[in-house]
Amino acid sequence: MEVTNLESIPGKTIVRHLGLVQGSTVRAKHAGRDILAGLKNIVGGELKAYTELLVESRKEAVARMVQQAEAVGANAVVNVRFSTSNIASGAAEVMAYGTAVVIG
Amino acid sequence: MTYENPRIPEGINVARESVPAEFLRLLAGLLLVVVVAALVLHLAGGWLARQVPFALERSWVGERLLVPPGIGTDAADAQAQERVQALARELAAGMGLPQGMTVDVHLVREEVPNAFATLGGHVLVTDGLYRRLPSENALAMVLAHELAHIRARDPIAAAGGGAALTLLMLALGGDAEALAPQLARLVQLGYSRQAEARADEAAIAALLGHYGHAGGAAGLFEALADYDGAGRELPALLATHPADAARIARLQQAARGWDATRQPLVALPAL
Amino acid sequence: MEAMLQLLVFAALLLAGLLFGRAAERRHYRDIVAREEALGDILVFSERRIPDFAAPPRTTLVVGSVVIAEDYFKRIAASLKSLVGGRLTAYESLMDRGRREAVLRMKEEARGLGADMVFNVRFETASMNDSAGGRQAMFSAEFIAYGTALIPSRAP
Repeated sequence: MEVTNLESIPGKTIVRHLGLVQGSTVRAKHAGRDILAGLKNIVGGELKAYTELLVESRKEAVARMVQQAEAVGANAVVNVRFSTSNIASGAAEVMAYGTAVVIG
Repeated sequence: MTYENPRIPEGINVARESVPAEFLRLLAGLLLVVVVAALVLHLAGGWLARQVPFALERSWVGERLLVPPGIGTDAADAQAQERVQALARELAAGMGLPQGMTVDVHLVREEVPNAFATLGGHVLVTDGLYRRLPSENALAMVLAHELAHIRARDPIAAAGGGAALTLLMLALGGDAEALAPQLARLVQLGYSRQAEARADEAAIAALLGHYGHAGGAAGLFEALADYDGAGRELPALLATHPADAARIARLQQAARGWDATRQPLVALPAL
Repeated sequence: MEAMLQLLVFAALLLAGLLFGRAAERRHYRDIVAREEALGDILVFSERRIPDFAAPPRTTLVVGSVVIAEDYFKRIAASLKSLVGGRLTAYESLMDRGRREAVLRMKEEARGLGADMVFNVRFETASMNDSAGGRQAMFSAEFIAYGTALIPSRAP
């Protein structure tokens, strides 16, 4: 399954456009990491726990988007975009969406 | 090149797992953690508090009577106060209080029967309680029990344990706040029953030492059994001084072998 | 005991959230599925490149938005889960419903204008937490779906 945020795959043509597919996930880090991150706010620097959280979430969101694309019979997803929003403290929702296509 | 929108199946972005099932699992886990943490913190807080030297506790508190709200602290009859203080001194001498630990017994004007040990080596006895005591032996039991609490540093340990629990509740914050205090209070009640049992034992030993027998030790509870004044007053005393059957039985057991005719109870002068 | 009363109120709210919340959610999903069926002929894509038409279509921006709140039970379940970390399944259905509802409203606007295709669809999500005295009493989120609708122009 090809995933890209270009309009199309270079060198290939799109045979069928199958519409919008999206994957989203809501995750939280456990309370302990939250407290550590709060302390880190005083010192400054990368909040590794939250970076990890968002990386995991993004991977899962893309995986679900791909799952939807497979379900409608596509072999590529183009024009992929991400959207992240903050849900309460320490939890984030990551969404990935794109257009499922069949490339030939 | 075609443009279409085939139907996307459900269940990809939304889990099928039941939310209530997961919720109950987590709730059970949280309750367990809170109970264990409450126990540990209460013990730790109590232990730490006991390390504070009595002299320091005394100097912090001074002459103030730190009592729960709603209990009068005006001094009652001066002569009676003197007698009670003198009895307490005699008992204390036989109980081996550590060097420098002074205990002040205050007889206060308050209808509700009550007696407790508080911070700074102060013991409070209400005249409502005094009037219901059938003998000096019963009074000695009460005084010795409270003296035992002071000796064991129970008041400051309870304060320390309470502070530790409050910290735990603050740390949990959020919605756990609603549940945690209930459990913490349950833990506290259980723990203080242990302290009460220990104080009872020490008091009986003191009675044996002072009078040669433990007769009349259960006098207070027997007298209160006849007390059916406004129901709400009694629970205040019983909340921290459980008068359950087991406790009364223990006290009466301690008086086994006591002969009332050969070792009569000492009368308690009226107020 | 005041604390007992607080606990009872809390439990009652939880129960109300659980029962009525689930019913409301199921009803909403049924509604969504029915409308998706009805609006299935309006095609949506996130692509920017539009197909070639004999006559260039008119274009216009269409937007669908909705704000949905989660029920109390799921709110508490999620905050409990966030203590240990992991997937917050309690909020997943809120997100799913919200987005699908926003897309449906966007499609409805497109239909109203006579369009049958929407391109360059994008999403925005904003969460609005209603904090009452430090404790979060409500959780709600706003969902926007917007795109460019292609309205076929009549043959000249």
